[in-house]
Amino acid sequence: MRGSINRPPTPDAEEDRGQDLTLQEIINIKLIESGEKERLKELLRERLIECGWTDEMKALCRAFTRKKGRNNVTVDDLVHVITPKGRASVPDSVKAELLQRIRSFLVSAAL
Amino acid sequence: MSAPNDDKGTSHSQLSSQFYGDLLDSIIVDVASECHRIARLGLDRNLEDEEEELRLSTQARARVADPSNSGEANSKYVVDIFGQTHPAVASEIFECMNCGRSIMAGRFAPHLEKCMGRGRKARLKATRSSTAAQNRYTRGSPISTYSSYSNSTSGNRVANGTTAPNEEYGDGGFED
Repeated sequence: MRGSINRPPTPDAEEDRGQDLTLQEIINIKLIESGEKERLKELLRERLIECGWTDEMKALCRAFTRKKGRNNVTVDDLVHVITPKGRASVPDSVKAELLQRIRSFLVSAAL
Repeated sequence: MSAPNDDKGTSHSQLSSQFYGDLLDSIIVDVASECHRIARLGLDRNLEDEEEELRLSTQARARVADPSNSGEANSKYVVDIFGQTHPAVASEIFECMNCGRSIMAGRFAPHLEKCMGRGRKARLKATRSSTAAQNRYTRGSPISTYSSYSNSTSGNRVANGTTAPNEEYGDGGFED
């Protein structure tokens, strides 16, 4: 048997099932498996485009890129540039719509 | 003692907020990644152009806000948004439809006055041939206004254009 491939042994499926998942992890799995997470993300993305939020964020990125120089910009930089303003400038109606959808999912999933 | 529903409500709210925050963060990363890609690949219309434009627009704004620049005084040398300068008097030449002479556009209004009988000389010519109209013409026409017409260097001032029709109605001699 060749021992040239060094990798950790495949985790035993039974061991995993024994672990306790937090509530959040359980919900996350349900969201993903049902496809709802994807739908929610697309809904949020669409609403943010409609209300001009995406354009605002892109403008912030462009301004930052202009200052720092096109080839010196990292994704991390841009994330840090957008995050504070991005989180604060989502319209209340959009936030409310998303929260409502998530809450209905939680209720329907009997969590 | 809080009802179990309340607890569920608050924990649902907390969970919802958490998931909403995750979704938003995920979208933020997507936007940042896209902008990064555009920046690195140079797909954005030239960023240097934008900077140049910004600089020029702030310059222009400063010039406009500057009180020492009077718009009237600089009208001969000011450049418009297409980069053209216009002389104070329009210099295009065309044919007058009344008398057929070649007239400069900037001098067209005063020319028309004389040509169509509104000016003092044209009127005197007309009155010589019509004795009945003579009284009307000599009544209160302010000569000073006419001389201001012939002296003005810019025939395309709106103010000049609007007073002319008023006088026409005031005289009423034209209909004859």
